Amino acid sequence: MNHLPQSWGRPRDDIYGAYDHSYLQSNGPNQHTQSPIVTGTSVIALKFKDGVVIAADNLASYGSLARFTDVKRLRSFADSSIVGFGGDVSDMQYLDRLLSSLDTREAYCSSGHSLNAQNLHTYLAKVFYKRRSEFSPLWNQVLVAGLDAESKPFLASADLLGTTFSAPSLATGFGAHLAQPLLRKVAPDEDAVAKLSEEEAVQAVKESMKVLFYRDARSLDKYSIAVVTKAGIRLKEDEKLENQSWAFADKIRGYGTQVN
Amino acid sequence: MEFGTSGMLNEDGIHVDMDRLKKGEVNLGTSIMAINFKDGVILGADSRTTTGAYIANRVTDKLTQVHDTIWCCRSGSAADTQAVADMVHQNLGMYGIMNGRPPTTQTAAALFQELCYENKDRLSAGLIIAGWDERHGGQVYSIPLGGSLHKQSYAIGGSGSTYIYGYCDANWKEGMDEEAAVNFVKGALQEAIKWDGSSGGVIRMVVLTKKGANRHLYLPDTQYAVRHE
Amino acid sequence: MTSIGTGYDLTNSVFSPDGRNFQVEYAVKAVENGGTSIGIRCKDGVVLACEKVITSKLLKAGANKRIATIDRHMGAVSSGLVPDGRHFTSRAREEAASWRKVYKSPITTADLAGRMGGYMQAYTLYSSVRPFGVTAIVAGWDSELELPVDGQVGSGPSIGSGGKAKDKKYGGPGLYMIEPSGIYWGYYGAATGKGRQTAKAEMEKLNLAEGKMSLLDGVKEAAKIIYVAHADNKDKEFELEMTWISNLEGPTKGRHQEVPKELLEDAEKLAKKALDGDDDDEEETKDENKPAEADKMEE
Repeated sequence: MNHLPQSWGRPRDDIYGAYDHSYLQSNGPNQHTQSPIVTGTSVIALKFKDGVVIAADNLASYGSLARFTDVKRLRSFADSSIVGFGGDVSDMQYLDRLLSSLDTREAYCSSGHSLNAQNLHTYLAKVFYKRRSEFSPLWNQVLVAGLDAESKPFLASADLLGTTFSAPSLATGFGAHLAQPLLRKVAPDEDAVAKLSEEEAVQAVKESMKVLFYRDARSLDKYSIAVVTKAGIRLKEDEKLENQSWAFADKIRGYGTQVN
Repeated sequence: MEFGTSGMLNEDGIHVDMDRLKKGEVNLGTSIMAINFKDGVILGADSRTTTGAYIANRVTDKLTQVHDTIWCCRSGSAADTQAVADMVHQNLGMYGIMNGRPPTTQTAAALFQELCYENKDRLSAGLIIAGWDERHGGQVYSIPLGGSLHKQSYAIGGSGSTYIYGYCDANWKEGMDEEAAVNFVKGALQEAIKWDGSSGGVIRMVVLTKKGANRHLYLPDTQYAVRHE
Repeated sequence: MTSIGTGYDLTNSVFSPDGRNFQVEYAVKAVENGGTSIGIRCKDGVVLACEKVITSKLLKAGANKRIATIDRHMGAVSSGLVPDGRHFTSRAREEAASWRKVYKSPITTADLAGRMGGYMQAYTLYSSVRPFGVTAIVAGWDSELELPVDGQVGSGPSIGSGGKAKDKKYGGPGLYMIEPSGIYWGYYGAATGKGRQTAKAEMEKLNLAEGKMSLLDGVKEAAKIIYVAHADNKDKEFELEMTWISNLEGPTKGRHQEVPKELLEDAEKLAKKALDGDDDDEEETKDENKPAEADKMEE
């Protein structure tokens, strides 16, 4: 034994030759890229003349296992915006804490001014982009709903790569395929948004949630829905899908020519 | 390291929780659970530890104390979960001394979560945290693979848990008395042991109430019927 | 003082032969010259108030706040050297944020006071630093509810957790004062700065230890005390600054906020009236202006 702790317990060099350090690889890039494990599915949102409706179901899946059925994926910010999270739940929780600390830091200066949805979206998009550039992405796709600096309805998305979009209606995940076409029909452009009432918007979003429940194998019939307007946020977290259509199954017999 | 997210058994019948293990690593291929009941919480676990199909330990204790009345159930890599539990144990001990009051279950859950989340690409640890304190009563938290934190009325975990989702959902009642609660845990774990090759051996339980921690042991050669004293 | 000119006051970390740290005592002098700050612990919240001495007519009224938010549920005010107060604030915010990062829950008022007491004490030990020239008052509301872990999802049993101790109350108002020596105590009513003696005398009349004072009354009393205490500093103009933290049902929902403008002005009006009139008038005005039960702010 010599005075070098690094070599204690190792075969003696003079007898066995020098230790081959290539077995302890210390160079090469750090691999932080993960993949999502506990996940939430679609978030959908639609602008209307006075604000935005946003919805997401209450399921967190573990692969195909419907593991947690009480996961609220809409989060309010500064009593004026809603963020809807799709993708990895642990990263959603991280972002939730990050937004809380942002909220606290904003409260340090009592200017009476608070961050609006547009500011919030910019912030989140930058966080996403920074993390993907570190090869450690936050595995989420989010929608931010609220009002912009002119108090007009604001809706935009950001994702794990830092990509952003804005449109009269937006949907993440499966919703982008199934719900977005339905929502676009209701609000193809900003002119249509200006004419759309809250009731119509809520109706369209609820219908889309139903379609998602019919066709998305990682969805649940319990969901959260929020309406953001100048008056503030109305968030309901324990809604149940209503008026589903299943009875027509009675008319389906066999898979072709069978009649009974 | 690649691993599936399908939640299905892969071709050699190994559950996804095991896919992240390094070669030859010892796995708690496990059935674990913790439930809330009238007077506190009960943790339960089987006692099988496997390396592949070989049972490395048939009388494992997967119920680990991290403070007086805060315990956890460990699943996944034995090495990883022991390391994490040891760190939290040390931290909570310090917390109790430094702040002059015992930590809450929330404190423990927060510490566990931070470790599991920040090291998600290095760990395979599926943990259930259960604890009792005077202010909050019994509480159950689940921390699955990615490091998210879920507060639940009861939690099940490990490879055997997939076989008992139906049993637990059908038989679960809130506010059970101790006897009913023990029977619920025992019934669920018996089913998991029955159907999951990676679970087996004895059933261990810990009952956490204002009276402190109380251990139970049930043996397979008596059909888990009598509590071993 | 026998030891003046002995050299024992020239540096921190050197005791005088009779066991005193003169640097700390000089720091206390700096505090005693500062504008008055007070805190009142009420049954449903805490109020902080300070006499902000106006050093120039060219300063914007209402700007340059002296009471700071430490965390959502906590605020602090200090008397003495203003920049030292700012550093205190900044460190307190770091402590609160670091507690949140580690434990994923808000720091209690007592714990923050402990941390800051330790921090200030460290500035009495080394010759390379001087003690803080402030005495700070920290006020907070520790949630009376069961706190979740920040970020957690799910909520446990719908009937609540089993095995809770019955009829026990948790959380509530917290008020601590930390001095340049690093010593800190919890108070029902705390006062520091130039007018502290007057303020303390006024607060003792309020029987705060009984725990009957409501937050709304506390706000009015606080304004009055600052005005009374200003008598010790009459040659200078001042602004009254007040913040409060109510319980979760109250007007601030457990958050540290400025007292709303209208309420502040009302309280200020009452304070001036009480100061102008003699004792009898004071009693009358107090009764007249007492809010009817229905007028009380509730949410």
